[in-house]
Amino acid sequence: MQCRITPSRPWHASHELNAIILIAMLWYPAAAGAAAEDAGASMFSVSAFGTLGVVHSSEDNADFTASSEQPNGAGYSHSWSPDVDSRLGAQATAHFTPQLSAMLQVISEQLYDKTFRPHIEWANITYQPTPEFSVRLGRIVLPTFLISDSRKVGYANPWVRPPVELYSLSPVFDSDGADVDYQMQVGKLVNTLVGTYGNTRFGTPGGGELDAKRLWVIADTVEYGPLTLHIAYQQSSYTFHFLDPLFDAFRQLGPQGTALADKYDLDNKSAQLITAGAMYDPGKWFVTGEWAKRNMHSAIVESTAWYLSGGYRLAKFTPYMTYAKVKADGNTSDPGLNVSELPPFLAGPANGLNAGLNATLGMTAVQNTISVGSRWDFMKNTDLKLQYDHIDLGSGSAGTLVNVQPGFQPGGTVNLFSIAIDFVW
Amino acid sequence: MKCRNPLGGCALYALLSLAVGQGRADVVAVVSSTSAVTTLSKDQVTDIFLGKVSRFPNGTQAIPIDQADGSPTRDEFYATYTGKSPAQVKSHWAKIIFTGRGEPPKAAATNAAARQLIAANPQAIGYLERNAVDSSVKILVQP
Repeated sequence: MQCRITPSRPWHASHELNAIILIAMLWYPAAAGAAAEDAGASMFSVSAFGTLGVVHSSEDNADFTASSEQPNGAGYSHSWSPDVDSRLGAQATAHFTPQLSAMLQVISEQLYDKTFRPHIEWANITYQPTPEFSVRLGRIVLPTFLISDSRKVGYANPWVRPPVELYSLSPVFDSDGADVDYQMQVGKLVNTLVGTYGNTRFGTPGGGELDAKRLWVIADTVEYGPLTLHIAYQQSSYTFHFLDPLFDAFRQLGPQGTALADKYDLDNKSAQLITAGAMYDPGKWFVTGEWAKRNMHSAIVESTAWYLSGGYRLAKFTPYMTYAKVKADGNTSDPGLNVSELPPFLAGPANGLNAGLNATLGMTAVQNTISVGSRWDFMKNTDLKLQYDHIDLGSGSAGTLVNVQPGFQPGGTVNLFSIAIDFVW
Repeated sequence: MKCRNPLGGCALYALLSLAVGQGRADVVAVVSSTSAVTTLSKDQVTDIFLGKVSRFPNGTQAIPIDQADGSPTRDEFYATYTGKSPAQVKSHWAKIIFTGRGEPPKAAATNAAARQLIAANPQAIGYLERNAVDSSVKILVQP
């Protein structure tokens, strides 16, 4: 099962305010731009980024989405979908003193409820007593993956989108809490250690909210010239009531039903994510790869994903190629209730519940994708990307596809064609 | 360079610069003449300008001074020192800015303005076209 989640935050009462903030940030460019060019320090700086993209899928009976947070995508919902990659972000940073600063980043993109209303992606206060040490309080995007905190900034990345196999492994991308950042330099080697602790809660496309508590990440990044190495460990206790009716029904059927419900429910379970990634970018070319494993101790099956990508820069063009894979480590089926141990009149309901459980486990994403594309830096602060993806779905699996329709054939192949324009200013 | 004899001096200068630098500006990394720093490798300069480190090897804080976005001096500096195109440098900073991890160096509008800022601050580090260097700044020696 892909976990479909998105940021609808405790602050969602202020969506109109978010929209006003976003618009105000976008229409405050001239003064801020001029200030940035001037070496004289200004307390405030404003910047923005965005992507306008469309995706076409060869599969009409299911949707391709870029993340588990999106309810709609390319294929079933739209032949050419603008909802997968398009977004607009604006950020304001205030430097009160050299040690104390604050940032606010608001993004408009497709949310779990199919709206594009702006939401707060980042909002925190940073205290940095020395250049090597900082503490942040507020909403922070987690540093779990190599580029998880910059995954929405298309211009900062070589592809149209980060490989969905790995970047859909965990639905939890941010936290309301604190982080501590410590940098150490030994000769040419720069080591950055980050620890974060907090909570998050958000609405999901399938309905209901996912609640992650005692959410912490420890991440270490080593930079040595053009080489970047990153490892991280993420842990939380999460609850997701979406499947409660299924497990409540299992619990009606005696000890074996209770045992199955306890094994697979998503009530106060622990989740672990372990990741390792590397990037080598000497300028003329790059190669990057990442590996991650999740264990959520529930009907969300234990899985491993990885990708390897490389590109070569030819003047303003950067053609690239990526191979990405996600596989299930746990069982994607279960014998379920032993019907022969139940009274005959319960055989029908028990078989129904077993089918429900197996349908849930069978939603585990198993697929691999070969992507080829090119970035073209055709204009200052703006790029155009074209990307072709060939997805090979695992046997019996719909992969990361969602909104699967009755006519869908699992285990096939899907071709995607994407065009995106990314910008920053 | 002001040409008093446009037919002679300028043509010779243009030919010389073509021969020496294939028409590209010769850009050098500099610090204030009052700075204690004298030697810095290309990689060390690169790390400071890309925001990877914030101190000179002697431990004092380094304040990088950029030149105007799109200026030939700036593009030449980043190409020579970091091996990155203007788009790659912008992309690098997009990753840092939009994760709240820092902001790019402040930019001076011209070589003269950059020289003035660098000269005035012993913590500053910048780059200038070689012919814009004067006694207020010193060229960093590569080890």
